[in-house]
Amino acid sequence: MLLPKFDFDEPATVSEACEILAEFGAKAKVIAGGTDLTVNMKKKLLSPERLVSIARVPELQRVDASSTMLKLGPCVTIANIAESGEIGKRWGAICAGAKALGSPLVRNRATVGGNLGSARPAGDMPPSLMAYGARVVLTKKSGQRVVFLDNFFRGPGLTEIAPEEIMTEIQVDAPPPHAGAGYINLGLRSSCDCNIVNVASYLVLEGPGGPIKEARIVMGCVGPTQRRAVSAEKALIGKKPCEALFTRAGEAAMTDSTPIDDFRGSAAYKKEMVKVLTRRTLAAAFEEALKS
Amino acid sequence: MAAKLVQLTINDKEYDIAVQANETLVDVLRYRLGLTGTKKGCGQGDCGSCTVIMDGNTVNSCLVLAVQANGSRITTIEGLESEEGLHPVQKAFIEHGAIQCGFCSSGMILSAKNLLDKNPKPTEGEIRSALSGNLCRCTGYQKIVEAVQSIAK
Repeated sequence: MLLPKFDFDEPATVSEACEILAEFGAKAKVIAGGTDLTVNMKKKLLSPERLVSIARVPELQRVDASSTMLKLGPCVTIANIAESGEIGKRWGAICAGAKALGSPLVRNRATVGGNLGSARPAGDMPPSLMAYGARVVLTKKSGQRVVFLDNFFRGPGLTEIAPEEIMTEIQVDAPPPHAGAGYINLGLRSSCDCNIVNVASYLVLEGPGGPIKEARIVMGCVGPTQRRAVSAEKALIGKKPCEALFTRAGEAAMTDSTPIDDFRGSAAYKKEMVKVLTRRTLAAAFEEALKS
Repeated sequence: MAAKLVQLTINDKEYDIAVQANETLVDVLRYRLGLTGTKKGCGQGDCGSCTVIMDGNTVNSCLVLAVQANGSRITTIEGLESEEGLHPVQKAFIEHGAIQCGFCSSGMILSAKNLLDKNPKPTEGEIRSALSGNLCRCTGYQKIVEAVQSIAK
């Protein structure tokens, strides 16, 4: 498989990259690790006239977990996130997502910004980032805006990012005391596969042991974009956490999901797995909340 | 589309090469430099036969644009043998019958070497996980894992 022809830019700064995108707009595509984009270009699904590599812009590779907010540069590799102790300590479900992505070889090149920007419904990074309430900063020549991940995905492969914009930061607030999160992905094998269903859950308790003050459940692979299990979340608020409650939330999450039949599994099977993974990720989130 | 000049340090030897933007690293290694030890399998990052070590990390060289590799240090399978002979990982693969058709071997050996460089005493689980991006259709993996374990001891 050969790549179609294209022009190549490698800006050294964000403003330089924004200048290029302002000029070329939709004719250009931003590339970082290239593990998704090059494959789509080889398959001739995409053929941009120009690639703008942001992989060597130093400020887009930073990880800052020192304050009350995690700030991730979009070009931080999935391998670096998977292995990061400082991210794992407070945002464990993000590391769980990173560890589940692709293979060791892919993780060494793939980036967190790329996994969000490629907007695959089965992606490993979106669910836990959404569950923590993450935001992305989108920058263009004339300014920047902050978009909640909840409002970022528009459909398979489609996002809020305008042709002249670049994702320049991912922001995740630190969980308050008595909070926890969990992420589980179900696939046929543990490496190089595409998820059948993946779920991330996030819980905040009033105090040690409960009741539940805040809940966010994010399901992947069961709609054109990741979606919140709204009725499951509602069923949890104000209740004392226990296995029976998590089972009921799992059943509610089934009604929030709209999977399709495909070669990875039937819609009915995926719904069943939504129930199981919701229950299990809630249990994991609760266990972490008890320790925090 | 103009050619770009890139500098690559491959197996401790420096190369200045003019590459097209749409050339991948695996194609530059194989077709421009004749380093055909790096194999080209699926071309989409699934099989790992094009594995090389780039700046200390294993990558699928079929997904790396040669222009993006500018300035990098790259180790291919040709770089493992020294004056003392084959690399210990290569010897172990031969001794344990971890090589059959050989198509995955370059990538498999580089992934194993990179693991052992970072973690000299990996568990079986760590070995299997580190090699999980390299597919082998012959051995069933058991002999490969045993070869790596024999050095890890």
